[in-house]
Amino acid sequence: MVKVTVCIGSSCHLKGSRQVVEELQYLIKENNVGDEVNLAGAFCMGKCQEKGVNVTVDGQHYSILPEEVKQFFNDKILTKIK
Amino acid sequence: MSLFIDFGYTSLNHFGEELCGDKVEYAKNNDYVTLVLADGLGSGVKANILSTLTSKILCTMVSNNVSINECLETMVASLPVCKERGVAYSTFTVVHINHEGKGFLFEFDNPQAIYIHDGKCLDLERKKITVSGKDVYQSDLNLKDNDFIVTMSDGAIHAGIGATLNFGWEREDIKKYLESVYDKNMSAKAIACSLAKSCNDLYLDKPGDDTTIAAIKIRKSLRVHIMVGPPVDKSKDEYYISRFLKDADKTIVCGGTSSTIVARYLNKPIEVDLTYLDSDVPPMGKIEGIDLVTEGVLTLRKLLELSEEYLSIVDLSPKIFIKKDGATRLADMLFIEASDVDFYVGQSINAAHQGLPIDITMKLKLVESLANNLKKMGKNVTLNYD
Repeated sequence: MVKVTVCIGSSCHLKGSRQVVEELQYLIKENNVGDEVNLAGAFCMGKCQEKGVNVTVDGQHYSILPEEVKQFFNDKILTKIK
Repeated sequence: MSLFIDFGYTSLNHFGEELCGDKVEYAKNNDYVTLVLADGLGSGVKANILSTLTSKILCTMVSNNVSINECLETMVASLPVCKERGVAYSTFTVVHINHEGKGFLFEFDNPQAIYIHDGKCLDLERKKITVSGKDVYQSDLNLKDNDFIVTMSDGAIHAGIGATLNFGWEREDIKKYLESVYDKNMSAKAIACSLAKSCNDLYLDKPGDDTTIAAIKIRKSLRVHIMVGPPVDKSKDEYYISRFLKDADKTIVCGGTSSTIVARYLNKPIEVDLTYLDSDVPPMGKIEGIDLVTEGVLTLRKLLELSEEYLSIVDLSPKIFIKKDGATRLADMLFIEASDVDFYVGQSINAAHQGLPIDITMKLKLVESLANNLKKMGKNVTLNYD
């Protein structure tokens, strides 16, 4: 099980956390990995200065822009499952 | 037992008029609340001046316990006489009530007020008294928890005359309508607005007369504590949070950092629900023991918009909050449920937010405007800055 947490605090909301969450939800469904990925939200992670939305994958921190979600999902999430 | 007096009103302007000829005045004095609904002769500017004078004079005098005789004498002596019609005339309804639900009602030429008790519309017993040559009706009030008094100008019973209805909307039908929409959790504003909206529909959006509905509701008090932002002095978090949690009927935490501190104090996890119920409002969180956990500035900004809409006397959208996003849930808890709202505003600066449209100045401004709007709704509001 891979735990993915997306920050939905004020700052990340403005940077597009909603698009990130929705795209991740879509990708999880499309790849049929709902049983292997636990997608959750979190309030402010204290890293608002990063350029993108704060996301952690099993505790490892990343900052991603909405347009990078697909790449990010393939590189950092799918690879963990397979 | 001390009850909370909730009030609200909505007006429709005579089609094509910029000003309303009906006027509502409201005053709180010691234990008493006074509400006056006046309807000036004619429409437009003239009617507006008459009703403004009448409501202001009556409201100020009655709330200061001046006898109705003196109030009327003053009024008759003050109102300007209409050049065309040769009369100075404005109808009125006065409700004067204390926090135990006791008081009186005076009516002059307005449609008889409707008393709602247990969801049933009743007529108050009234006694005719003659003051300065005018027949005024007096009723004694002894209201119980969740009782309403609905007052209206004659635009309500004339609704639809000659258009959708032959003789306008009769009072008996208005009573039936009120019984059909009644819910004991509705606010006074919600009842007033709902009735005004129906009048507007009967007038086919073109009111043939100024129409105003003003309602008063008596209910139990409910104290809400709302925490916005973390306090400056980090070493005293425990003290601030224990004070925030004390003596509240309901508690609300707005903001990510604040939620984290509260969750730590309560030793409970924060869960975040990822469902987006409104595209403008970030999702909510959940902490066991806290009634509502939301994001901060963006949610508050939306809440301020909702409060403007709620207070508007011409907005006809329903004044009930059904949606489940953070801002709407806040609106329901603060505008409808609360009687007393205590803000605990932390002024700690989140360095990461500076320069973004969510920084501390924005937050403090929002809180201040919001507190003002809650006061306009009749709530008892305090602001504590930490």
